[in-house]
Amino acid sequence: MARVVVEVMPKPEILDPQGKAVTGALARLGFAGMSVRQGKRFELEVEGELTDERLAEVRRAAETLLANTVIESFSVRIETEPESPIEDQDAEEGQASEQDEAGEQAKPAQQADAGEQAKPADQADAGEQAELATQAG
Amino acid sequence: MAPKIGVVTFPGSLDDQDALRAIRLCGAEPVSLWHGNDTLDGVEAVILPGGFSYGDYLRCGAISRFAPVMAEVIKAGEAGMPILGICNGFQILCEAHLLPGALIRNDVRVFVCKDQDLRVESVDTTWTSDFTVGQIINVVLKNGEGGYVADEETLRRLEGEGQVIFRYVNGNPNGSFHDIAGICNERGNVVGLMPHPEHNVDSLTGPTQDGRPFFSSAFNFLTAKV
Repeated sequence: MARVVVEVMPKPEILDPQGKAVTGALARLGFAGMSVRQGKRFELEVEGELTDERLAEVRRAAETLLANTVIESFSVRIETEPESPIEDQDAEEGQASEQDEAGEQAKPAQQADAGEQAKPADQADAGEQAELATQAG
Repeated sequence: MAPKIGVVTFPGSLDDQDALRAIRLCGAEPVSLWHGNDTLDGVEAVILPGGFSYGDYLRCGAISRFAPVMAEVIKAGEAGMPILGICNGFQILCEAHLLPGALIRNDVRVFVCKDQDLRVESVDTTWTSDFTVGQIINVVLKNGEGGYVADEETLRRLEGEGQVIFRYVNGNPNGSFHDIAGICNERGNVVGLMPHPEHNVDSLTGPTQDGRPFFSSAFNFLTAKV
């Protein structure tokens, strides 16, 4: 099972009222100089081997349903999971140190999870993403 | 025999009953159509009503556009059957590419609900032949995502070919390009607009009866055809 991420953004020339509202709220909260455009992220768990053909199918799905290419652009990329246990450990420690308070209880559960499935914590993902494809529409 | 006009009910449709009633008040026979059926039950025209079909999940109209009945609606629309999309129905027609462009969130960032003045720009469609060009009508407008957008080339084509059929006047309520409130396809059989003519058919419940000509236009077209 591979995870493919489809990100959809309003095209630059299209007004983004949601982004504008968020931009305004940030400014009111004192986060100065931040302009936001809001999009959508879809995580597709794709069965079977991720061949070029399968990826093309994901792109077709994105173009058919996930994005309206009249007003939105999209990108498709594979999100790979780290396989080395050392990386898992790193990710876990990172997470534990961030959640000092909850650390004691959360840690054993995470260890079990990581051990069984070699499932990455979210933080580990960022470095492992393989940029694949491209803007459409 | 009165011509049959169908109204599709999707999960989340709100104004299907009003549309059915408007059809009846204007002389045609209303027929309820169900989104999950793949038949149009012999109707001669179809209305896609307002509401929040499929909860407006993903994008307004994006999921409804693939409802089983829509395959038949698209086929019929391309073959020339009169199709009217009101509000959410307009969004569905754009998602289905029966009409060009798209509808995005109102630029004012609030849900708009008001009696809206419109100028009739074209009467060369099966749903607007009972109006006159330049006529100002007042029809209720109620939506959160009614901003009509399209690329420059599409806008030029719509303007050049007389496919802009209604324009907002006395203020643009939602940021629609060129003040566009409603458009039609090249052939003039498929019409979409954000305001709700089905709510303006009865003096008891609306300040005007300016919605009636939509339904009488279709009635006259279908009667003349027979």
